[in-house]
Amino acid sequence: MRSDLLSSEPLVAPVNVTWEITGRCNLDCRHCLSADLRARGKGELTFEECLAVVDDLAAAEVFQINFGGGEPFLRDDFLSVLEYAQAKGITTCVSTNGTLLTDELIGELLRMDHLFLQVSLDGATAGTNDAIRGAGSFARIVAGVRRLSELGLPDLSLNMVVTRLNAGEIPDFVSLAESYGAKTRLSRFRPSGAACHTWDALRLTAAQLRWLAAYLGEHPEILTGDSFFALAPEGRRELGLNRCGAARMTMSIAPDGGVYPCAFLSDPAFLAGNVTEVSPIAIFHDAGVFRRLRGTDVESCRSCARLATCHGGCPAVAYFVSRSVGVPDPECLREVMAGVS
Amino acid sequence: MGSAASTEPLSTPRYIVSPSVRVRRESFGLLFYDTRSARLTYVASGEMLSPSAGDPCGPRELAVAELAPSREQAVARLLEGLQAKGLIVAVGSAEQ
Repeated sequence: MRSDLLSSEPLVAPVNVTWEITGRCNLDCRHCLSADLRARGKGELTFEECLAVVDDLAAAEVFQINFGGGEPFLRDDFLSVLEYAQAKGITTCVSTNGTLLTDELIGELLRMDHLFLQVSLDGATAGTNDAIRGAGSFARIVAGVRRLSELGLPDLSLNMVVTRLNAGEIPDFVSLAESYGAKTRLSRFRPSGAACHTWDALRLTAAQLRWLAAYLGEHPEILTGDSFFALAPEGRRELGLNRCGAARMTMSIAPDGGVYPCAFLSDPAFLAGNVTEVSPIAIFHDAGVFRRLRGTDVESCRSCARLATCHGGCPAVAYFVSRSVGVPDPECLREVMAGVS
Repeated sequence: MGSAASTEPLSTPRYIVSPSVRVRRESFGLLFYDTRSARLTYVASGEMLSPSAGDPCGPRELAVAELAPSREQAVARLLEGLQAKGLIVAVGSAEQ
């Protein structure tokens, strides 16, 4: 049903907007999707420009903003932007690396409504996490998570970008999250940003992909966003995770106000406009980049029995591997499964 | 003594969108968003249902369009389903 409805006409506005509100970060992760944006370094929106963006999104009845970066808490005015969005009735999610979570900051967060906090952690052990996120980061992140738990922040999740290095630790990671009263979210490793250079080394093996597909099927409580719509077995379709939401349900705003269909497609080829010049909602409706992506059809998938399940998979992965969004996701579950026999 | 029901006007429930839920009009009908779970519900209701305008944070009534008698039961079932999911709440009756 959902796919049929999404195929008929574009939504009046995105359901959620990913907003990389700063490019600055105090970590240097091997898979950072924002590394290219940071390298291009075009600055950040001013506080007034941020409020104007929130006004536009609220007027269009966007339900949710996912704030990330960079590290959003490095921005001095971030809490004010966050509170402004909440006052407009927009649900806010913040993705943080967890290293800046002082008691004072957590106290500010505890006063807020409509806040989901996601802390990035890439392993259940220091050795694994630090190999991806940097030396000493595990201890700092876990210290922040512990304080969040002790001070009682609700709606907390720990997010792992699943790679070859940490896939084997997923059950222990889930246990670690549970010990802090947090949910687990697993995100797909995609070859954008810094991950372009680490894709071959960190991408999952076929055996890991098969294991992960089965694991996700057995653990519906694990959050995935739309990360694994191409990979997940049939049961998760009921959660609506069966189609890429880029340009259909979501869009991404870069630190400098550039608009892209998805944070993982923050490549100059997909730059659709800038919020300092055009309303983000007008870009969502009218930008050629968005229209083309909505109309993209993976021709070689048309006869596949799983087409309704994944609609060709993730265009970002396809693009960064083959420079085309019109080709199948290279981690197509059908192909991976076929490799068993 | 006659029953009260026999002397009062027929009534139908009025519905408001649940406080933790937001909704907006789409070309296919209504799109609900539960702020507690971030879960979406797509309702292919066409023009039959429409949320009142106003503050998205405040209470919004769900208005039912005038319907052919043949469709009234289907819409009543749809509303009951939305209520069962916690997306809308019955708040009394509207006189017919």
